[in-house]
Amino acid sequence: MAMDRRTFLKDAGLLLAGLGLGPALRPQFAQALEELAAGRAPVLWLQGQSCSGCSVSLLNSERPGPAELLTRYLSLYFHQTLSAATGDAAREALERAIEAGGYLLVTEGSVPLAVPEACLVGHEPYGRLLERAARRAKAVLSVGTCACFGGIPAAPPNRTGAAPTAQALAKAGITVPLVHLPGCPPHPAWMVGNVVHLLRVGMPALDEHLRPVRTYGQLLHDQCPHFAEYGRQEFATALGGPGCQFKLGCQGVITHADCSHRGWNGGVNWCVRARAPCVGCARPDFARDPAYAFYRLNEGGVPA
Amino acid sequence: MALVVLDPVTRIEGHLRIDTRVEDGRVVEAWSRGEMFRGFEDLLAGRDPLDAPVITQRICGVCPVSHAIASCRALEGALGLAAPPNGRLLRSLVLGANYLQSHVLHFYQLSALDFVDVEAVLSYGGPDPGLRELRAWVEGEVRSNRVLPAAPFLPRLPGNYGEDPRWSAGALAHYLEALEVRTEAHRMAAIFGGKLPHTASLVPGGVTTGVDAEAVEHFRARLRQVRRFVENTYLTDVIEVARRFPAYATAGRAAGRYLSFGAFEEGTGKPWLPAGTVSGGVYAPLDTGRIAEEVGSSRYASRKPLHPREGEIRPEASKAGAYSWLQAPRYGGVSYEVGPLARLQVAAATGAQPVREALSHLLAEARMEPAALDSALGRHAARAAEAVLLARQMESWLDALQPGEPSVAPYTARPEGRGEGLTEAPRGALGHWIEVRGQKIARYQCVVPSTWNFSPRGDGGDPGPVEAALLGLAVDPDHKGLEVARVVRSFDPCIACAVH
Repeated sequence: MAMDRRTFLKDAGLLLAGLGLGPALRPQFAQALEELAAGRAPVLWLQGQSCSGCSVSLLNSERPGPAELLTRYLSLYFHQTLSAATGDAAREALERAIEAGGYLLVTEGSVPLAVPEACLVGHEPYGRLLERAARRAKAVLSVGTCACFGGIPAAPPNRTGAAPTAQALAKAGITVPLVHLPGCPPHPAWMVGNVVHLLRVGMPALDEHLRPVRTYGQLLHDQCPHFAEYGRQEFATALGGPGCQFKLGCQGVITHADCSHRGWNGGVNWCVRARAPCVGCARPDFARDPAYAFYRLNEGGVPA
Repeated sequence: MALVVLDPVTRIEGHLRIDTRVEDGRVVEAWSRGEMFRGFEDLLAGRDPLDAPVITQRICGVCPVSHAIASCRALEGALGLAAPPNGRLLRSLVLGANYLQSHVLHFYQLSALDFVDVEAVLSYGGPDPGLRELRAWVEGEVRSNRVLPAAPFLPRLPGNYGEDPRWSAGALAHYLEALEVRTEAHRMAAIFGGKLPHTASLVPGGVTTGVDAEAVEHFRARLRQVRRFVENTYLTDVIEVARRFPAYATAGRAAGRYLSFGAFEEGTGKPWLPAGTVSGGVYAPLDTGRIAEEVGSSRYASRKPLHPREGEIRPEASKAGAYSWLQAPRYGGVSYEVGPLARLQVAAATGAQPVREALSHLLAEARMEPAALDSALGRHAARAAEAVLLARQMESWLDALQPGEPSVAPYTARPEGRGEGLTEAPRGALGHWIEVRGQKIARYQCVVPSTWNFSPRGDGGDPGPVEAALLGLAVDPDHKGLEVARVVRSFDPCIACAVH
């Protein structure tokens, strides 16, 4: 698709404004956008304290499918689960990428700030690699609740000091455009859609948690198929039972995500349609409070 | 003497480093090092018991279904619940769908680039339009001034790859096709699992989705798509790799001790693949009382081997003499290999005729001796054979479902209890142990497939299965560890699981 220099300058302006940064960086940002749109966008994908679920979810992308993503849209400089390069070749590929800079850095998993040995990549603590890579990145995209907010590894007692990417970058004094795509895992369309938006249009509008408003601007509850049952107070009282799942513990009323109209895995299903409560996996404090159970069945019976 | 260090080992799940000492072109010592720790077992203590399946499946994004099932079964033991036949069958179908996605992913995305050289595609001169398009893509990439052309397929370690352009181009085309097939397998899993990765509908007592005739046929239609690829493409490609790389039919031989917890409950509760051990060719029933986790070489402070019922996690990052975040599980004091090969060896030893036939057919096609099953190629072959058998068996589970009958048992709270939840993940035996006190989780322990296979030395200095499988491996110093990587990947490492 054809885009002229003026478009990139305009997008760069929006990008900077969205980040609350001054206009001095504008030519630099415009050039970056132009380069990214010119061909396969360079992406450097790093995994910290992760389960690889975000990567697996990315491979579930529907349109474009995973094969197009790898061969036509993205130039995946390095990805621990997909790169042919291993051992020495992997470390060399990583270094070549970092040296070249100008990529979109995607981070998956938390950073063990208190115990650097709790995540090593090629002998190097993940936190240090992340800093080196972020300094040379055009933008950082944190995917998954662990990278965005700490997620399950940061739940108490958090013996490794697991922290979000943003905290590791702030600690190192690195300022770089940052976008959060939480979810455990995030939907592939959230990742692909926002990568494309970032590369082709510019910085998406973000909320106070740095989440793109177009993806996370609504409560799951608002378009839930059980919305009417909620209104009529027709609640499920047993696992798998009919009715709204609210009284079983459904967190759709406080979770910002579009699952209820997007569906998962090509739209074949999603949590609530499978008669399970939403566990709030895209919430900033997902799984963080041990006293806040996912199900309310052990609270002496579900209130009728 | 030289130290060959493979770090990071990519195209696996997680953070793994393998060190080997090489003398006269052969590995004489090996160390498997898990390089990431999160502390799942610790953070479960004090939580509501029903949090466990939600949290533990997030140990791993590749095999969340197995963790969900192990956790639900552990809770069922502690709470006195039993899933109805529909619930058992639905679990087996969701698990089966995820096995198919995992096995396909493992062979194509994780392993194939050890054998296929993308650059060989440049010499393809045949008429197939799809393969010509691939060649043009590789040409365009290699000639481009990109920082890393043809990433993530290049760069790669130097070594002896398949050089046949037609086969290389075909294999690369199958790699791309496999990406879509594994996505299809996940769509299939989501029909009854809610979503993937990380399911929503697997709960203690069964599966919340219920059995609806339309969903059953929806699942069947997708299963047949995946099955076609597994039978016609995946199996054929594994056989082709075996014929082209016969050295790996003897490389990667472990101790020949196999362990399976049994998996895929059918309607009656009997597992389709049986539990047990095979050691020196002899079958023995499973006794989980013989399991203990040793930590002498692991970064934990406990002083003696503990059964997972009493297990504890006290991380000590800089413990002297420790070199891995993995514990060292032992069964009766010795290491055991787990995974598809172990499952099929155990099943064959109990006389399962379809398993025996599938294995002998595949061995004949691949021109391998039965003894060659205990090898890097044998593990790939067993995985493919299992996928074929499983895809066939899943049809019978669909037929056994009873639309309209319940798929989940009514939940009853119980303030105290203990439970053991056993199943098999795609990469091997998985166990969860829970203790509930005062309506909260008092203790939670997981013993995970890659913990068995990638275990560091035990307290007696005995190597783990992968460490043992690397001993004697012939390596070319110019290949920078390619041979080691091939053997390591045959075990399908999942290090997020292994350490958790």
